[in-house]
Amino acid sequence: MRSLNLQSMAKCATARVVRLWILGLAVAGALTTLPAATPAAAHGERSQQAFLRMRTLNWYDVKWSKTELNVNDEMELTGKVHVFSGWPQAVARPGESFLNVGEPGPVLIRKSAFVGEVPVPRTFSMDVGKDYEYKIVLKARRQGRYHVHVQINVKDGGPIVGPGQWITIKGDMKDFTNPVTLLEGSTIDLETYGITWTYIYHFFWMAAAAAWILYWFMTKGIIVRYWQVKAGKGAELIGQDEKRIGAITLAVVLLAVLVFYAAANREFPRTLPMQAGLLTGISPIDEPRSTVDVQFKGGSYTVPGRELRIRAKVTNNGKEPIRLGEFTSAGLRFLNPEVFTMRPDFPDYLLADRGLSVSDSNPIAPGETRDLEVIVQDARFDIERLSDLAYDTDSQFGGLLFFFSPSGERQKAEVGGPVIPKFQAGAAL
Amino acid sequence: MSASTETGLPVGKTWKSKEEFLGCVILTDWILLVILFAVLLGSFHIHYMLLAGDWDFWIDFKDRRMWPTVTPIVAMCFAAAAQSFFWTRFRLPIGATTVVLALLIGEWINRYDNFWGWTFFPINLVFPSALIPMGFWLDIVLMISGSWLVTALLGGLGWGLLFYPINWPVLAQYHQAAEIDGVLLTLADLIGFNYVRTGTPEYIRMVERGTLRTFGKDVVPVAAFFSGFISMLVYFLWWNMGKWFSTTKYLEIEEV
Repeated sequence: MRSLNLQSMAKCATARVVRLWILGLAVAGALTTLPAATPAAAHGERSQQAFLRMRTLNWYDVKWSKTELNVNDEMELTGKVHVFSGWPQAVARPGESFLNVGEPGPVLIRKSAFVGEVPVPRTFSMDVGKDYEYKIVLKARRQGRYHVHVQINVKDGGPIVGPGQWITIKGDMKDFTNPVTLLEGSTIDLETYGITWTYIYHFFWMAAAAAWILYWFMTKGIIVRYWQVKAGKGAELIGQDEKRIGAITLAVVLLAVLVFYAAANREFPRTLPMQAGLLTGISPIDEPRSTVDVQFKGGSYTVPGRELRIRAKVTNNGKEPIRLGEFTSAGLRFLNPEVFTMRPDFPDYLLADRGLSVSDSNPIAPGETRDLEVIVQDARFDIERLSDLAYDTDSQFGGLLFFFSPSGERQKAEVGGPVIPKFQAGAAL
Repeated sequence: MSASTETGLPVGKTWKSKEEFLGCVILTDWILLVILFAVLLGSFHIHYMLLAGDWDFWIDFKDRRMWPTVTPIVAMCFAAAAQSFFWTRFRLPIGATTVVLALLIGEWINRYDNFWGWTFFPINLVFPSALIPMGFWLDIVLMISGSWLVTALLGGLGWGLLFYPINWPVLAQYHQAAEIDGVLLTLADLIGFNYVRTGTPEYIRMVERGTLRTFGKDVVPVAAFFSGFISMLVYFLWWNMGKWFSTTKYLEIEEV
């Protein structure tokens, strides 16, 4: 049996087989490492269920200060977010949230982030039913064209992605710097800080390990040792000399650990543990109470026509007449062309500038209550997969209605509730 | 490499000369070494990424409590199993060193090619934990004692205790403080904040979370001792796992 095994091994161990092995490994290595990966162009925002996107965070007034930058230029991503009162029961509430950016890797770095006036490098808490203003300062790092979203991650809920804009970055990432001033006064470039030492330290130990392995491998190899152990002569393989070599090696290793540790403490005498903790008590936007009251009276969604119909009783408690100008939900904006005579600056894929109409377009007078039928219709509803509302486990929609007065004052009102899906075109509410 | 026929193997029947036989043995040794290394690299890498995961991926997860607790325990599994294989079959004191070297080679390929090359995360955000001196410790304790029981107890404890001091020489520089917009952050926190990770929000970090502590700020020694203690238990289990995996079963020729 042993002779049979050795013959088989000999056949396998020809130089030709070895060359094929090496060639195969090289090809596999090249295939897995060399091809460039195509940059991601989207961040899965459409994959989330419609009712979750519509009834969690309603984004509005989102602005990108620039859409073209050079490497090292900064831009601001600002806006407001309304935490929907009818937050779905299926998702954890935003008691622990993180203001984030949806982008394909750190092509822009986040230099600072604020909610209201409060810097939020850490997790913060939001209250349902409130509105918050945010600002993210981004610095261009890698050349290319990228889709950049605002995003809030909710603990136990997941990422909720806001509107995205294409940002073009020119230049070369090699020129990127990220200067940071330490508490003790010196300035470092965080982009490259400590990397060379990290390589040296790791590869020093890896080389030492390789030397140790090769030393033992080169003394008697694997097969001969196996034969000796099998023959009951294992104890002869590790004698006093071998143990002495081991003890010396261990002493050197432990001494090196000690020296490196002491050197690190000497070079960096003042270090802190990482900082973590929940930021609570961030104030929502301090805005006067809306003078418009909207009561949802029912709705339907016609699947073939991509049409959402909302019946609502609207009361104008203000001093000026108002007209419905916009419905926004899940980052999409549906505008009433009778109110928006100019197309606002907003990503086209999310802006239906003729997507909103009302059954009665006359202004609602101060003190008047009127039953309105709001019609939201646009292909974007389907493209952004909000049509899936008809197939969700909780077929309730949500969003914000914006009313405008002749003086340009804007009133915001939350609207939401169950809708009945219609699977045939032309079906009445 | 030196090889001999001292065990009295049949030379001269299949091979034309003793030199040809020895050459074949040495060549087969090399092939075995490369295959073993690749298998250990792949399997340990998957195991470690699944269980240590974010703690090993990101600098802002490398805290004083969870990281030095979880990482050595997870790493001990393959180290113990590999020692069982290399020691009982070959009397080679290289099991733990081999697997941690294999793991680190795999990790560095991953961090450099994927994290840096494809997604542009800087290396100072994604470098792996250093483990090599722990491998030396475990292998040499086994070699000197010749006992897996002693290795489990002494080696396992040292395995946990050594982890943080081994990593501190690289980590210390990133625990310097900076003030950003009036907030105190370490550089490790700041790197994690600056370099956006869409799917890794700050709240999933587990930085020194747990019950109230009675050791003041001395978090690391407690975590290291606990890690060492659990590593002992893991060693027992995975030594036997390695033993079971390295059992050779032959089929009788008539059964084939």
